[in-house]
Amino acid sequence: MHEFNWGLLIVIYLFLGGLSAGLFFAAGLADYMTVDDKPVYARVARMGAFLAPWPVAIGSGLLILDLGNWYRFYKLFIHFRWESPMSIGSYLLTIFTVIAFLYLFAWLTADERQWLFSKVPATWKQVHRLNVDISSWRGKIAMVGFPFSIGVGIYTGVLLGAVSARPFWNTNLVAQMFLFSALSSGAAALMLAMVLNKKSPAEKHEIKFLVTLDVVFISLELFIILPYLIHGQLSSLAVKQALGLILGGPYTFVFWGPFLVMGLLVPLAIEVYELAPNIFKGHEFHGSRNLALTAAGLVLIGGFLLRYIFVYAGQVSSFHQMGLLR
Amino acid sequence: MAMKKKRYALVVDSRKCINCKACVVACKAENNVPIGNFRNRINEERKGEYPKLSINFEPEQCHHCAEPSCVRVCPTGASWQRKDGIVLVNYDECIGCRYCMVACPYDARYFNEEQGVVDKCTLCSHRVDKGNVPACVETCPSKVRVFGDLEDTSSRIHELLATRRYRVKEPQTGNGPQLYYLL
Repeated sequence: MHEFNWGLLIVIYLFLGGLSAGLFFAAGLADYMTVDDKPVYARVARMGAFLAPWPVAIGSGLLILDLGNWYRFYKLFIHFRWESPMSIGSYLLTIFTVIAFLYLFAWLTADERQWLFSKVPATWKQVHRLNVDISSWRGKIAMVGFPFSIGVGIYTGVLLGAVSARPFWNTNLVAQMFLFSALSSGAAALMLAMVLNKKSPAEKHEIKFLVTLDVVFISLELFIILPYLIHGQLSSLAVKQALGLILGGPYTFVFWGPFLVMGLLVPLAIEVYELAPNIFKGHEFHGSRNLALTAAGLVLIGGFLLRYIFVYAGQVSSFHQMGLLR
Repeated sequence: MAMKKKRYALVVDSRKCINCKACVVACKAENNVPIGNFRNRINEERKGEYPKLSINFEPEQCHHCAEPSCVRVCPTGASWQRKDGIVLVNYDECIGCRYCMVACPYDARYFNEEQGVVDKCTLCSHRVDKGNVPACVETCPSKVRVFGDLEDTSSRIHELLATRRYRVKEPQTGNGPQLYYLL
């Protein structure tokens, strides 16, 4: 039987990379959303900017640890190979991480910035020259960061989708599936952080913004998973048999139960239940704290499971044991 | 004088294979392959039930593909292909990400835990460069494998492919495998 070359560290990394991309996207979007020219979601944007760089930084660390020779990771950056998704991805990831940290810096208040630089020894003059107010750049940084966050979200899928030897991955839908899953994880994580923040409780319009965002992303993800399944069934034998891994095979339960129902449909139902009366009947958005927490938590678990299923099931799938030779 | 173009490949007459695994042992000894790892293997396929049954032994190793996906996906260029078609790993450049192992349709590569790099069949390039044949070819008692240069029209391998029917495995992955199985 096939052994797994990529394991849990890769699953966690793919999840964290996507999470950062989603957080950055949601934060940037919140920054741009205005009502009557007032930035009503500034707190959401600030929270997103504060969270966004960390998952991808941790994930990149895990990725390096997973290498056979972790200290050789610098070799990724002395070569550029445009045919290798991993080569493109490592540059994309690095640029995105830098932008995400820059965006965080742009959201620091003057006091926070002074506190940060008070930790730097006074003799490091060059570092202290960086103590400048770049809050007016927020919009520009977000605009530059959008394509990179989308890039990171898509890249995690392309990394798998580009492998023609693995029919489970090698469809043109995996990249988008991972992207929308990443964006919805980001919105959910932001919702979780806003609701859990006891110091300044989230306001209803902020929760509503994030719930709306999440409903859109989950729906898009759902309408990619459905064609993935249908198209797979109508595809060549190898793809059809690869899909058997989640249609009767060893990954069937985790795909349909924990991932599709608990991680996608249930949170979608909760969010629609929260949102629909407000949109269609004009009732006040009640914004239940517990429902928001439940939905956000489930979305995050679902996002992780999607990567788990794809990394593992994809490696089992091949043209080798399936079809053709029998 | 310009060197003549070469394209090394293997032809496998799997019907002659008796599953003695001498090729596996010879390869491990020749290339110092770590315990638990293999650069070549013999696939077994059983069919039918007694008394109507058959068993087929099929040696397999790196196909040294024409369009190797392992080389394409490698982020550092550590996986590379010589002009004569042999696919190799530059161990100093390999970071051990194992993307090539995931991308190989033939599971031809293994991970060397001790050195943290990916390794594979080299078609015994060190022997080939001296004019010898790979160890698996030399040791085979039933002469299953034929090694040669596809560009050399006077070679045995050229003759076999011109006169016999053959197949390659999983050509639909687009790798252009160069391990030819005679039918």
